[in-house]
Amino acid sequence: MKENLYGLLAEFDSPTELVDAANAVREAGYTKTDAFSPFPIHEIDEALGIKRSILPVLIFFGGLTGTLLGVSLQVFVHYIDYPLNVGGRPFLSWLSFVPPAYELTILLAGFTAVFGMLFLNGLPRPYHPVFNVPRFALATREKFFLLIESADPKYGYDDTRALLQRLDPQEVFDVPE
Amino acid sequence: MKDRGRYNAPQEIDGLSTLALGIGGVALIVWFVGLYFDPEQALRSWLLGFVFWAGIGIGSIGLLMLQFMTGGAWGVMLRRIFEAASRTLPVIVFMFVPLAVGVLYHSVYEWTHLPPTDHAIEARGIYLLPWTWVVRSLIYFILFGVMVYLLNEWSARQDRTENYEDAASLLARMSRFSGPSMVIFALTVTFAAVDWTLTLDPRFFSTIWGLLFVIGWVLSCMCFSVTILAYLSDKVPMDHILDKRHFHDIGKLMLAMVMVWAYFNLSQWLIIWSGNIPEETTWYLTRMTPGWFTIGVILILFHFAVPFLILLQQDFKRKPKLLASLAVFILFMRLVDMFFLIGPTPRINVPAGGQGAFIFSWLDIVAPIAIGGIWLWFFFGQLRSRPLVPVMDPFFQRAVEHGKGH
Repeated sequence: MKENLYGLLAEFDSPTELVDAANAVREAGYTKTDAFSPFPIHEIDEALGIKRSILPVLIFFGGLTGTLLGVSLQVFVHYIDYPLNVGGRPFLSWLSFVPPAYELTILLAGFTAVFGMLFLNGLPRPYHPVFNVPRFALATREKFFLLIESADPKYGYDDTRALLQRLDPQEVFDVPE
Repeated sequence: MKDRGRYNAPQEIDGLSTLALGIGGVALIVWFVGLYFDPEQALRSWLLGFVFWAGIGIGSIGLLMLQFMTGGAWGVMLRRIFEAASRTLPVIVFMFVPLAVGVLYHSVYEWTHLPPTDHAIEARGIYLLPWTWVVRSLIYFILFGVMVYLLNEWSARQDRTENYEDAASLLARMSRFSGPSMVIFALTVTFAAVDWTLTLDPRFFSTIWGLLFVIGWVLSCMCFSVTILAYLSDKVPMDHILDKRHFHDIGKLMLAMVMVWAYFNLSQWLIIWSGNIPEETTWYLTRMTPGWFTIGVILILFHFAVPFLILLQQDFKRKPKLLASLAVFILFMRLVDMFFLIGPTPRINVPAGGQGAFIFSWLDIVAPIAIGGIWLWFFFGQLRSRPLVPVMDPFFQRAVEHGKGH
């Protein structure tokens, strides 16, 4: 049993091997896992058991907040705080409130999308232990990596390492903390 | 691709075709009875049905050219449905005949009856005379006809090609043709929409009117096409071609179109409301009287709000049958929208005090069914006449793969 390890990293040659390995690891009961590849692999979400993001729901409520904010801002200014007679139109000219409320909807939905995506991804993240493995740099070029974190409840150094070895990787690396 | 026959439409289409012709034929006879007793109402209802169904056919020309310009898997999957719908142009011209005859005999439109000294008529001069109106419509049909003929001819030639170089060069030709033609298409639809519907109220004018019909007709055609596509999706040969991602993409386009429809309508309403000029506001004031007001609220809720909220959901867009049922619902709302535009306009045989009253005739149901039945019969025949997918298209395989993606 080694101390102070972030996890174990297995290197593969092809996306197919990576997806197969991810499936095997998920079936073995591991949950704190991650995969790295030079290009998006659509099957990997399912193989790793990654649940659907709640981001769309957040964006919806972000947009709704924008609508309500836009409407209440205009109602407050034009009807409560400083009613102004513009060409004899009613103070509560709700039809002309639509474009600003709509713009605020788009603005807040857009902000929620961008910042929510960054937050849910844990970004910005200046340090990640996985870069302690020198060969990990190849994840942006030609190699495929599967990570099992030591924080995983099923994790045990020897067992996990043996499991990864059975998946026929190029190599299994210890990832220092 | 040796056995192109295996991409032909399933046999079930023939049953639908006969059914459509039967219902349409019966409704047409009933409509003729109505025409005998109340010619003006019958022709106005005919106009309602004509604008709705011709919209699907003419909208398909726009979508056909749009997908040649943008590319994408949705266009490859829908192309043959758009093409079949665009080839219904002869039926659309045929359905136009009652309106042309009506206008030449000074019916249907109020302006055909107004004295030449009336300011609305005098200011328009030779532009708004029955015969110039009919001649202009013929020019629109000729322009649409050229687009329909060329795009369908090149597409058929692409099917017959033996190698992918020829197929790719035909695709490039269709794409090059589509760009400039799109400009002509949008302008032609603008003129046609103004002639066929805006002149119903000769004292009202709106510069966004043409765009309301461009987006409305394109939305109609998209909803119609996705309904047909969903019907085909569990039958040979489309069952192993179509996948959930194709419907997801089409659902996104429907969402965008529903939003643009609402955007254009709101623009017109907001500008006229802000301007507050009597010539323009009358149009909305008529539509805010009891009856029409209810229909206006229904349109805001069910032509925009409800489809918008439903189409936001990813899961919904990925289920073909659910998406198709929403599409049919939107199609029905398209008809209600046309009723909202056409219904309250001035009538010829109604005294000034009764103008704009809420009138809903049984002919408003019969005429769209008559036109629709015959149009659908012709459409299904056209759909059967060619393979359901452009098998020789250079992007066909990739488009099939796209559907199976995440």
